[in-house]
Amino acid sequence: MKRIILGLAIFSSAFAQESLEDLKRQLEEQRKLIEELQRKIEALEKEKVQEPTTQVKEETQKPAPADRTLQLRLKYDDRLKAYQVSPFRQTAFLPDISFIVDTSLVFRNKDDQLYKKLEIPGLYHRHTHEGHAHGELNEKRGFNLNYGELYLYAPVDPYFDLYATIPFSEEGSEIEEAYAVTRGLPFGFQFKVGKFRSSFGRLNAQHPHVWDFANQPLVYKVFLGDDGLKEKGVQINWLAPTPFYLLFGAEVLQGENEQSFGTEGFEKGGISVGDARKPNLYVGFVKTSFDVGNLSVLTGLSFATGKSRINHLDDKNPHAFAGKTKLYGFDLTARYSIDSYRYVSFQGEYLYRDQKGTRYDYDNQGNLEALRYLSKKQGGFYAQLVWRFAPRWRAGIQYNLINKNDVKVNGVKRELSSHLPAYYAMLEYNPTEFSRIRLQVGQNKAFFYGGQRKTVNEVILQFNFAIGAHGAHPF
Amino acid sequence: MRKVLFALLSFIALSFAQIKVVATYPWIGDLVKEIGKDRVSLHVIAKGSEDPHFVVPKPSHIAKLRSADLLVIQGASLEVGFLPPLLQQSNNPKIQPGREGFLDLSAFVQIIEKPISVSRAMGDVHPEGNPHYQLDPHNIPILAKAIKEKLCQLDEKNCAYYDQNLRDFNKRWNEKLKVWDKELSTLRGTKMVSYHKLYEYLLYRYGIELIGTLEPLPGIPPTAKHTEEIIKAIQGAGTKVCILQDVYHENRTAQYVSSKTNAKLVVLPHDVGAIKEASDLFSLFDQVVRRLSECK
Repeated sequence: MKRIILGLAIFSSAFAQESLEDLKRQLEEQRKLIEELQRKIEALEKEKVQEPTTQVKEETQKPAPADRTLQLRLKYDDRLKAYQVSPFRQTAFLPDISFIVDTSLVFRNKDDQLYKKLEIPGLYHRHTHEGHAHGELNEKRGFNLNYGELYLYAPVDPYFDLYATIPFSEEGSEIEEAYAVTRGLPFGFQFKVGKFRSSFGRLNAQHPHVWDFANQPLVYKVFLGDDGLKEKGVQINWLAPTPFYLLFGAEVLQGENEQSFGTEGFEKGGISVGDARKPNLYVGFVKTSFDVGNLSVLTGLSFATGKSRINHLDDKNPHAFAGKTKLYGFDLTARYSIDSYRYVSFQGEYLYRDQKGTRYDYDNQGNLEALRYLSKKQGGFYAQLVWRFAPRWRAGIQYNLINKNDVKVNGVKRELSSHLPAYYAMLEYNPTEFSRIRLQVGQNKAFFYGGQRKTVNEVILQFNFAIGAHGAHPF
Repeated sequence: MRKVLFALLSFIALSFAQIKVVATYPWIGDLVKEIGKDRVSLHVIAKGSEDPHFVVPKPSHIAKLRSADLLVIQGASLEVGFLPPLLQQSNNPKIQPGREGFLDLSAFVQIIEKPISVSRAMGDVHPEGNPHYQLDPHNIPILAKAIKEKLCQLDEKNCAYYDQNLRDFNKRWNEKLKVWDKELSTLRGTKMVSYHKLYEYLLYRYGIELIGTLEPLPGIPPTAKHTEEIIKAIQGAGTKVCILQDVYHENRTAQYVSSKTNAKLVVLPHDVGAIKEASDLFSLFDQVVRRLSECK
């Protein structure tokens, strides 16, 4: 026993990385420790000497066990079994797992029947398909369970990290993201493969639970859909060796976005359109950032181009579109840090879509009216200001506007509104970084029904919780 | 002329030979500077006046990490809220955890208050234990040695230079250590309250007792009920109690408790740059000792 302690002391002092003086001090401390331990051992040994006598006394009083050796052997067998149950245990390699729940209470001045039918002329109308993932958040009046999202992360090996995001809705689930990122490419390169949120723009790559408002901005909804641009494909990015942040990136993606891109051809009632080339979507972006005192600015330009195949021939109002789409984005974030907790942050993005192609739909007699040349030039932005005015409190306002909505059919401009605004304000209480309660009020004047503008007023009380090993979020 | 040219050339050569170091906190940066002097170029992520748990992961840091040869961190999960995304976006394999250019200083000191089990219901507890070990002045020479070893590993030919700087630093530090030890040993047995368990290593070293924190749980702001409990604890301490306030949390609670109990309120810097006077490690500890001595 003493020898072990001495051995340990020598062993640990041999490993201690300190200067001579520290070593001397430590040795002195350890000498004291050893002395103390020796005293304890001596005390224990004295007790031990006394122990058998008391035990003997007890044993003489009690009846002797039937077969002591059998008992011992059973105990031994138990140990052997336990050891052999899981010799290849790999629980130490368990990935980081977290689960995020988002639920909300919605008050809206339009009932769900009407709300579902609302459209934004030339830009957005709802389709009959049911999503299994995020889909539209806060969709129904009353209580909504927006999603429960499973998030996994672990290094694969020395060369790759793997991330997966699997949101569940009440109907089912979907693999929203599952991608690997390189860990060690030289010269500032990084490569990503799998299904992921595209780095197009600022907000697109962010998960809904880090958004500053309960819904995504109007421009995202109309150009990229309720789920944003998340695609199968590859990304390569290069961080330039500059003293400031400068990132270039390119993506080749399948291009299956519900609002702007598509690959699957269609055939029905005299219409026949072939598949687009696959992969179909090409994205490029450049982002840069610099600091001026306590102000940090992040800005970027993004571009996406791909073929479009939008097939709603099985809908109540059958129509389809085949063509090509170019999407341009400019984003700017400026955050002024007041102290460790308080900041004021501005974020804005301008998106512009240039879409050309052929629209297929039916005339009044129900005959297919093919080959109408459709051209859309549309643009809009959101701008928001968020103020974290106390460690646990944030307030913010967001202004959305689509101010360009030029739609030409066979060269003839359609009379569509090009002033489509929406306004939101929110107040947030964050007990910790793992829970959030948000009250959001808003008015959306972009929706139409039957040619009439339908103003949607809503109040959303949103709750968001995260458990488990959830990584920090980027800027 | 020749001399000027030589100086210029050697300057260029030196600046090219510099090891690029990123440190997460200013005290680490200062220690790196003490050992590396002009052979290292340094970028520090956090400010000394900031809450070390909450640092903004600005993209400008990513640019510095991209070309870094060495990243020195405090560890014990203190940087978990901002460093992982910066590292992931740095596209720099050299400084990833486990690689040669990554140094976690928490591996070299005895971490205290390691919980047996953790739950977020306990507040912001670190599974590794209390990460604020820099405030024990006896830890500093050990960490200086660790940094020297790492610099030697990365830049073998300048090892003698780093070694000389370490010896020089240790000499100056050990002299000051005697003064600080003497001064603070008079505080043995005194009782104190702090906002967060930020000064535990310092208090442990000098036998000062922490009788409570103003926050009810780590990372959870003070509540009225808990504040009353602290006031009672101070009143029941039977001796003079000092309230240690850091520079980044609100100080209203501390002032309130102080006004109710006559406990002395002392603003104690935790890092280089936390207060103007703490411009390097030496002046940081000078300030800590001077301010703590007011509690006698």
